[in-house]
Amino acid sequence: MSNLRFWGLMGVLIVVVWLAGRLVTNEYVFFAGYAVLQYILLATAWNLLGGYAGYINFGSAAFFALGAYMSVALNKLVELPVPILIVAGGVSAGALGLVMGYLTLKLRGVFFSIATLALAIVFQAVITNWSWVGGASGAYVMRPADGPWGGSYVEYLFYLMLAMACGSVALARTIERSDMGYGLSAIRDDEGAAESNGVPTLRLKVLATVLSGTLMGMAGAPLPFYVAYLDPPSAFNLSYAVNTIAMPLVGGTQTWIGPVIGAVLLTAVQETAMVTISSASNLLLVGLLMIAFIALAPNGIVGLAKAWKKGETHDAVSNRSAHRHRGRSG
Amino acid sequence: MTQFPIGRRTVIAGALGSVVHGGASFAAEPIKIGFSIPQTGGLAAIGLQALLTMQIWAEDVNAAGGIIGRPVQLVTYDDQSNPANVPRIYTKLLDVDKIDLLVTNGTNLTVPAMPIAIQRGMVVFCMLALAVNEKFKYGRFFQTMPYGPRGKESISEGFFEVAMAMTPKPATVALVGADAEFAKNAVDGAREQAKKHGLKIVYDRTYPPPTVDFGPVIRGIAGTNPDIVYVGSYPVDTSGMIRAARELNFRPKLFGGGMVGTQAATLKGDLGEMLNDVVSYELYCPAVAARFPNVEAVLKKYQPRAKQKGIDPQGYYVPPFCYATMEILHQAVTGAGGTDQEKIAKVMHATTFKTVVGDIKFGPDGEWDHPRMLWVQFRGLKGQGMDQFTNPAAEVVVSPAAYKTGELRYPMGLAKQ
Repeated sequence: MSNLRFWGLMGVLIVVVWLAGRLVTNEYVFFAGYAVLQYILLATAWNLLGGYAGYINFGSAAFFALGAYMSVALNKLVELPVPILIVAGGVSAGALGLVMGYLTLKLRGVFFSIATLALAIVFQAVITNWSWVGGASGAYVMRPADGPWGGSYVEYLFYLMLAMACGSVALARTIERSDMGYGLSAIRDDEGAAESNGVPTLRLKVLATVLSGTLMGMAGAPLPFYVAYLDPPSAFNLSYAVNTIAMPLVGGTQTWIGPVIGAVLLTAVQETAMVTISSASNLLLVGLLMIAFIALAPNGIVGLAKAWKKGETHDAVSNRSAHRHRGRSG
Repeated sequence: MTQFPIGRRTVIAGALGSVVHGGASFAAEPIKIGFSIPQTGGLAAIGLQALLTMQIWAEDVNAAGGIIGRPVQLVTYDDQSNPANVPRIYTKLLDVDKIDLLVTNGTNLTVPAMPIAIQRGMVVFCMLALAVNEKFKYGRFFQTMPYGPRGKESISEGFFEVAMAMTPKPATVALVGADAEFAKNAVDGAREQAKKHGLKIVYDRTYPPPTVDFGPVIRGIAGTNPDIVYVGSYPVDTSGMIRAARELNFRPKLFGGGMVGTQAATLKGDLGEMLNDVVSYELYCPAVAARFPNVEAVLKKYQPRAKQKGIDPQGYYVPPFCYATMEILHQAVTGAGGTDQEKIAKVMHATTFKTVVGDIKFGPDGEWDHPRMLWVQFRGLKGQGMDQFTNPAAEVVVSPAAYKTGELRYPMGLAKQ
């Protein structure tokens, strides 16, 4: 897809969603839409490091919760507009990513993954014992009824999340086509070879961790206003970590569109499963889909589509050459 | 979210019931009662009991002709015990399912529903939640558990009253609890009570919720030699603390507190005689059955169905007060003559409701106007098994005075008695 076409489509999408939102009177649409967009943002953020560089982050919930708790903490000090809280959440989670990345990414392989898992557990314990942000009892955040530009406050949060989700997708696409993206791909394929060819592996990995953490923190920042209450079990909920990994895996980890497809598809599958089968089955379904895609289609839906297209092109080329061959022999 | 078509089934069952009983036929639109309830996740054990009780109530009401001639329909979704799912569910209930009345349950799962309820001016019929309205101060919020106006203190007030009646009076107390919402509130309240009664706090610590070995915790407490021990705990740690205390033969003058789980038949049956002399809270127990004779009818319907569903087979804790919540809703709608929220709120503030758990009058904050937590001491338990808890003598009410069925036995004795 050309740059012009991408930005054109993105612009049209934003305008269409905004216009549709003006016509919608049912607030549920904004609540449900917010959840989908939140997962697009989280999945895209995870994919910057997990997909492009192949470094698996199990601690998405820690970065997400840091953004959320930064909002709670700042909101206790002084009432700030949500966009500023989003910036603060992003900066703090990005800083955590920087420290975390610098300390652990010097080591290759699974050490980073183990460290991210530990990070989430340690951070949850810290929050649980930090009474100023509600500790184990949780924190209340009084959400205003109306948004600053008219409409409800949830509608306002929805548009903020839409802007962040679109921004993250644009960022992921830009990175994918930049020197950084090629460098991360080289790390994913063979880190040793990449390093011997002059790819600054540590710098790229740390940069990807910072960007990924920043986006996850930004995704978490509006959460206290969306829920009106935040406690450690919900901020660090397992579903965030599982879905954030599953969505890019199902959609495809090597392109920017993969996490978007995965997020939309899995959110729809989970919602449908909860309504039609049972709510207990929704994470099970996600797990099964993850296993199925890892075993049968490691490049996700995008990979399957590419393979199908390639096969079709291959068939078409074969058919054309066979036809020419038959023509000549005829 | 899982939408349980119980509402429709309930309407059908109710309609059939009314045909059988010669009751009213339902030409009128149903009154839709919407709620989010945990059917999976950590709070499912409570949520499933509440759901079953509400189904029983809906069947009873529909069989008797509905409310103001309209059948009731329950519309519910599973929030998976996750507060983040709650705002979406209540918005769906209000905007898509077009419910008439809104019910909530649990502290963490009620708070996320409050901004939506306030925005729409909905009356909140709440159960099993502690001190939710302290922050919101919403005039249309009503909570049915008998915590009273001083919510946090009610989970320790009775315990300390009982303790201070011992002779000689205790001088020292150990406070211990899980790092989690209810337990922390309980211990916070207990700290205030200890100060109020001039007790010296010799141990005041929390433990992380995933703790499995409580031996070190009990050893730490025993090392400070407290007269009384107040524990704020959830079911798993309640079991762990009691087992560790028994295994280490730790027997202060009084042991117990706000221990969640000592109200559940399965946990009680599992602990059995280890519970002897432990003091904890209850909302209802067989010892006070004579005071609330209508509870038995509810439990008779609840117990066989609960056994089939594999949930608490005795149901002394959740079902009576859950049924009472719905009775209040019934009377409020009848009193208001419809589902106008302003009229219902006025009725809620002005009325003393007659329910299976006794008369309930709400204070200005929407909590009971007085606390009525029962503090019980477990007695005469042998081995394991939940059937022994149907015996009124197994749980002696030691506070409040109006419901007392026996005196406190102290110091804490051996498990085998």
